[in-house]
Amino acid sequence: MREEMLRMERVTYINQGITGLDNFSMTIWAGEILGLVPVNNAGMEALFTLLKQNLPLHYGYIYYHEKLINEWSNPKGGTNRISIIRTQSSLAKDLTVADNIFVLRAGFRKWFMQPEVLRRQLLPFMEEIKVDIPADAYVDELSVFEKFVVELLKAVIAGNRLIVLESISTFVSDSELVKLHEILRFYAKRGISFLYITVHFEETRQFCDRTALMEDGHILKYFDTGDSTPENIFLPCVEDYDRWVRMQLDVSEESKGEKAAFEIKSLYHGNLRNLNVRVNAGECVVVQDTDNCALRDFLSLLREEKPRSGQILVGGRAVKNVRDRRIAIIQELPVETMIFQSMSYLDNLCFNMDHRFKKVWFSKGIRKSIVSEYGALLGEDVFYKRIGDLTTRQKYDLVYTRILLQNPGVVFCVQPFKKADVSIRSHIWELLERFLKKGIAVVILAVNLADSLALADRLIRIQDGSVQEIYNKEDFVKLPINTPWLYLYREKYANGKRQ
Amino acid sequence: MDEPRAEKGVITAMRGEKYKYLSNRLLIVGAAGTILGAGLLLLLGMASVALDGALLGWVIAGGGVFALILWTVAVWIARPYYRMEKSSRLFLEGYITSNLSGGGETYLTPASRLMEERLQRMMDSSELLKLNKRQAQYLALQNQINPHFLYNTLESIRSEALIAGLTEVSDMTEALAGFFRYTISKVENLVSVEEELQNCQTYFKIQQYRFGERVQLTIECDSGEREEIYHCRLPKLTMQPILENSIIHGTECKVGVGHLKIRLERTGTRLLIRISDDGVGMDEKTLANMNESLQKSARILSSQESETKGGIALINVNNRIHLLFGEEYGLHVYSMPGVGTDVEISLPVVTSDREIANKEALG
Repeated sequence: MREEMLRMERVTYINQGITGLDNFSMTIWAGEILGLVPVNNAGMEALFTLLKQNLPLHYGYIYYHEKLINEWSNPKGGTNRISIIRTQSSLAKDLTVADNIFVLRAGFRKWFMQPEVLRRQLLPFMEEIKVDIPADAYVDELSVFEKFVVELLKAVIAGNRLIVLESISTFVSDSELVKLHEILRFYAKRGISFLYITVHFEETRQFCDRTALMEDGHILKYFDTGDSTPENIFLPCVEDYDRWVRMQLDVSEESKGEKAAFEIKSLYHGNLRNLNVRVNAGECVVVQDTDNCALRDFLSLLREEKPRSGQILVGGRAVKNVRDRRIAIIQELPVETMIFQSMSYLDNLCFNMDHRFKKVWFSKGIRKSIVSEYGALLGEDVFYKRIGDLTTRQKYDLVYTRILLQNPGVVFCVQPFKKADVSIRSHIWELLERFLKKGIAVVILAVNLADSLALADRLIRIQDGSVQEIYNKEDFVKLPINTPWLYLYREKYANGKRQ
Repeated sequence: MDEPRAEKGVITAMRGEKYKYLSNRLLIVGAAGTILGAGLLLLLGMASVALDGALLGWVIAGGGVFALILWTVAVWIARPYYRMEKSSRLFLEGYITSNLSGGGETYLTPASRLMEERLQRMMDSSELLKLNKRQAQYLALQNQINPHFLYNTLESIRSEALIAGLTEVSDMTEALAGFFRYTISKVENLVSVEEELQNCQTYFKIQQYRFGERVQLTIECDSGEREEIYHCRLPKLTMQPILENSIIHGTECKVGVGHLKIRLERTGTRLLIRISDDGVGMDEKTLANMNESLQKSARILSSQESETKGGIALINVNNRIHLLFGEEYGLHVYSMPGVGTDVEISLPVVTSDREIANKEALG
């Protein structure tokens, strides 16, 4: 007899007139890892809310541990013992690992802490999953992966039997992901269930027991891991997406320039050791940090610090200071981190243009011509909107067009597809393509390949701070099986020949 | 003549339950509030003359009484009222709600309770059971064929085929006779999973004569639980109409071999049956409409549109499950174009017909 950990039966949830979940049915068995692939973000927040809290439903029933916890006709209220681990850590940064796990647990009654006792209590949990994180370490000092493990341990120790993991593969490296999967499997064998949310079907297919495909607040279909399903399973719902990748593969390499736009020569900095990278004008290179220890150093080098030794060149000339406008950086989650809420749309757009037009802040003429030139591209109305009223798509347009106006030699994009749904991801591709067409080199910095590869001409994998492997486009077929669109690369470059 | 008398009797019986009606509750709370308010004002007036120092005490007492009245209004009147309102709105949207009073034991007035019960009876008996009958006896009713005449004729065909050495024809006739016997003659409404599966296999055998190797059926069930699952009871013709749908609308239109799968699972309280095909599937809009029809079954009753459109078999099965076991059980469809369709049937674990709460629905 199987045990149902969670059952959501025909749930319709409407909040402030907006339908979050629409006839949503989902079952998670005890000890199961259920993959959830949202084609768009519709309904995701509603799902998280209903997993945490028993809010009034428009219709439907929710069972946890085979007990009815919420029904439309009789809202039960209260919260559920379900943990949700999202990209943004929920740990208290200034407390130690042990404090976060034990002291902040609901129901902890002690008045006086005994660090030694907490250390002893935590040790067996660490040992069984073969992880060594000091109990006294402050959360702020931990790596992203370690923070994730601490959150997981906190959930397990709190006795939560269902843990929701949102897009974890976007912030941990390949090797950490393998370790993480081992940990999840270990707990699944003990009867803990996981809802593993990721935008990539290949990932869930390889690792989860079942995969559910979700669109517009309802589940379209479940796939058992053992089922023989066509490789191009995504074609019906993301046809444009696949078509775009195919088109990208057909772009001839002759269109890329031979001139070096950006070069790193014999560079030593932090964990980076003897790094040599060359990116040509109009070329897109993905730099994958496989063990998640070089990315931070790479970024600090571009933002604030000088290298210990080595050279950085843009267009053949050395970069002397970090304010060099020949280099542009698009940070992680740019719509949240790169837009100034208090400034107007036009001011935000012109922010990096002062090296091109010194009088950009005073000259109405320059600003007027920017509006007339870019109005067709961005939409006339956006210039009169408040930043808070812009859609996500318009915000992405703003950030990327600002960089286009800056006209750098090279653009560094840090995990550009993070937290973006399918429609936004396709749009980000188009925006990155604009850089390439203009001859600007694009370097995508990622810990996980995800969508980045579709645009890439080359993939550089870094391990222990130095270049481990370089793959050209035709070598992408040799990449691991969970690589997105691997079937398209196989189709294109089967048997080492172009089709 | 009997019905008004019966309703009169019900009204008499309801007199003992007067606090179940919001109209009565409103009167009681209103009267209590007025008396308490007047009493308090009177006492306050007296107190201000006689006991100046004790004014604060009277104010606190007055506040307490006021809070008590507020709490009573919220819990005793407002909450049931909002439940009723939500339930009625859902009913108007097309959901079949078991209780228009919102699942509680509260009603607006005695007459509204009678009206609700009458409505419920009308839905259960006339419309839903009409669908039930149509499903259970669809061949006999549609074709007006005497079942015994049908069996005898089929037996005759089988004998003739055997004499002529046409084994395939005789096997096919035998399967057809078996299918009709189960569908028309077996009068019980609840059957065991094993019997229902057997009928599915018989039906599939008949279809295989038409499609040959183009369709394949597998039945999956955990070997350790097989016996327990096979003894569970479920409404007759729950699986076969869905299997029929999977073949006709799913795999028939597909190029190549169509794989059909029936998967049975059991939890502590539920029996879950998933009938899957890898056929043409359906687009998102059709899927959403289908699931909406299953969720809002009452809409189907009030309109005739679905009578002519596909999917009525699923709706019939769903309605029978709702009627017998409650709204929390039923059907849900998952599908993607070009990938296939899954129909999940959720039922309570029932091992005996005596466990059914709504025995009237069994007929």
